[in-house]
Amino acid sequence: MSELYQKLATAILEGSSDKVPGLVQKALDQGLTPKDILDHGMVVGMNEVGARFKRGEMFVPEVLMSAEAMQAGLKVLRPHLASSGAKLIGKIVIGTVKGDLHDIGKNLVGMMCEGAGFEVIDLGFNVDPEKFVQAIKEHRPDIVGLSALLTTTMRAMGHTIKAIEEAGLRDQVKIMVGGAPVDAEFAQRIGADGYGSNAPAGAELAKRFVGAA
Amino acid sequence: MRTNYRVNSGIQFRMFSQDQLQELFESVLHVLQYTGLDVHHDEARDILKKAGAWVDGLRVCIPPYLVKRALEMAPRSFTLFARDGNPKHDIHIGPGRAYFGPGPTCPNFIDVDTLERRPYVKSDVPIVAKVVDALPNIDFCESLGTVSDVHHELGATYEFAGMFPNTSKPIVAWSYNWQDSADIHKIAITEAGGQEAFEKRPNYVHYCEPLSPLVSTFEAMDKLIFAARHRVPLVFTPCPISGGTAPVTSAGIIVQAAAESWMGLVVAQTIQPGLPFIMGGVLSAMDMNTMILSYGAPELALNMAGLTELAHYVGLPLWQTGGCTDSKVLDEQAAIEGSLSVFFSALSGGDLCHDVGYTESAMTGSVFQLVMMDEAIGYARRITRGIEVNEDTLAVEVIHKVGPNGHYLREPHTRRYFKSEFWYPTLCDRHNFEEWDMLGRTPMRQRVIDRVHDILASHQPSPIKPETEKVIREVLEAAEDRVKQAA
Repeated sequence: MSELYQKLATAILEGSSDKVPGLVQKALDQGLTPKDILDHGMVVGMNEVGARFKRGEMFVPEVLMSAEAMQAGLKVLRPHLASSGAKLIGKIVIGTVKGDLHDIGKNLVGMMCEGAGFEVIDLGFNVDPEKFVQAIKEHRPDIVGLSALLTTTMRAMGHTIKAIEEAGLRDQVKIMVGGAPVDAEFAQRIGADGYGSNAPAGAELAKRFVGAA
Repeated sequence: MRTNYRVNSGIQFRMFSQDQLQELFESVLHVLQYTGLDVHHDEARDILKKAGAWVDGLRVCIPPYLVKRALEMAPRSFTLFARDGNPKHDIHIGPGRAYFGPGPTCPNFIDVDTLERRPYVKSDVPIVAKVVDALPNIDFCESLGTVSDVHHELGATYEFAGMFPNTSKPIVAWSYNWQDSADIHKIAITEAGGQEAFEKRPNYVHYCEPLSPLVSTFEAMDKLIFAARHRVPLVFTPCPISGGTAPVTSAGIIVQAAAESWMGLVVAQTIQPGLPFIMGGVLSAMDMNTMILSYGAPELALNMAGLTELAHYVGLPLWQTGGCTDSKVLDEQAAIEGSLSVFFSALSGGDLCHDVGYTESAMTGSVFQLVMMDEAIGYARRITRGIEVNEDTLAVEVIHKVGPNGHYLREPHTRRYFKSEFWYPTLCDRHNFEEWDMLGRTPMRQRVIDRVHDILASHQPSPIKPETEKVIREVLEAAEDRVKQAA
């Protein structure tokens, strides 16, 4: 039993998208609970990926391979998690702020968060502050992630946070920001709860917000 | 589908035209024929005379055909072998390959604990060898110093005895005379498994240094004859100084240095046809303000690149110079002078580039400079590796697949190449500000010091054979007896 968890963790670590779904199915067939498969197998593997990336032993393309393997496993696991009433580790709404058409950084963070075991709702790019407010009301996420690449659009992050405050939703969510021109000091100034310097760091931060890291 | 499609063209530096190279070559032949050199060695003069040279007292003039014959016999490509059979530590000398290592005989050393300059001592030798053994871009070993705390005739014997067990990378062995050359050779052939085994797989190179201008000293010739008789690959390297012991012009110092080195070539090839011979010369400028021989001057890098081209033109490998500095400390000057000369050396494709780790104009050896230059050599090697162009690297299909506003991070193409296409630094910092802050805000200098201490605390070179350990003890005892009896 623990051997299967170990195999799952290793397959995630190695980024084997082809192996993970089969292993998840095998675990389900053996009667392991979806929640245990997630926590003791898949998340263990992904945590090791995060640790190795931090130590400079894994590189971004390899981390993404592991995230993809995680996603492939979640695809099999998700219906079972839902029917067993167990939840993923958290829910995140992400989007690139108004006036900014840059999509890639935000997509990577979304992928990494999904890989870390979050449910991710992606609002896309050039997202109005009002749309973020609507999404919070509708999806009730734990975390909102704002992305911007341009020094000219990073101010829209502040506007978005203000709109969330004005809607009376600020204390319901943690807000994280990221993107090339953003730093920790800027994040603090506009009233965000945290800043991720790159995609894996963003996922790490999200895990800290929900007490999973 | 295209067939036979492969383009690999590295980056190279070319200074001379073919006409200029021919002019340099003819000028060297002219100097050897009409000026000649003083050769302070009776047997060497006899050998040269029998071979067809003109001998008048000490002066030896060599006709061009003798030089050309010697050039014809000396190999352009050969291999120096790791003493432990580790193929990663072998050195394959040949076109398009540049190898790096420290230099010999600095009187001082930067203490690895106190970071202070002091005389070089016996216990520094294993430190240098271990650091050389651990560094991925340092390929051969010299000691970076002259051992000061043993009898003055035994420095080189102790030096080799200290280096040999602590690195399996090939050693370039400096020595005083025939006797300590024999000490060194005995140790090396024991490990190799005897004289014949050594001849097939040589694990060290013999280093000789004649005097400028135009003198073959007794010691240089005696050591050369030792190496030739025992089939030890040979570096024969003068150290002329522009404006002092050589013409002030770059072309002039190249001509003189080549003549000085080729006198050694002719003797060596006459004794032992086909002996691997590495043409030498450290060609730098005398600073006309301070009178030092500058190891950080651009003229050093320029002259060495010129000498490399001449060597390759006549089919010889070259003893290059780089990674050295006139600075007294590990600072910005040391980084600029060291890195630029390393890069220039790599661009010229000089075969064995030595003096990496020299500071204070060769007065002080520093493993800190050596470690910093290991990073610079890695950088330079990535550039000289060039850009590979083939259907897969052109990536037209991948560009099409990703299209506008996509990204490449998830592409198998990226995963296939991101490690081999990019060079990853070990000392240069690429963290963002916050991460750098969290990691202690270390400057380069501190990271270099930390790396030296890490290596010394953790690196284990592969051991030598027990019989070689025994021979080292015997050689050192016999050497001590020798100097006692002489006293």
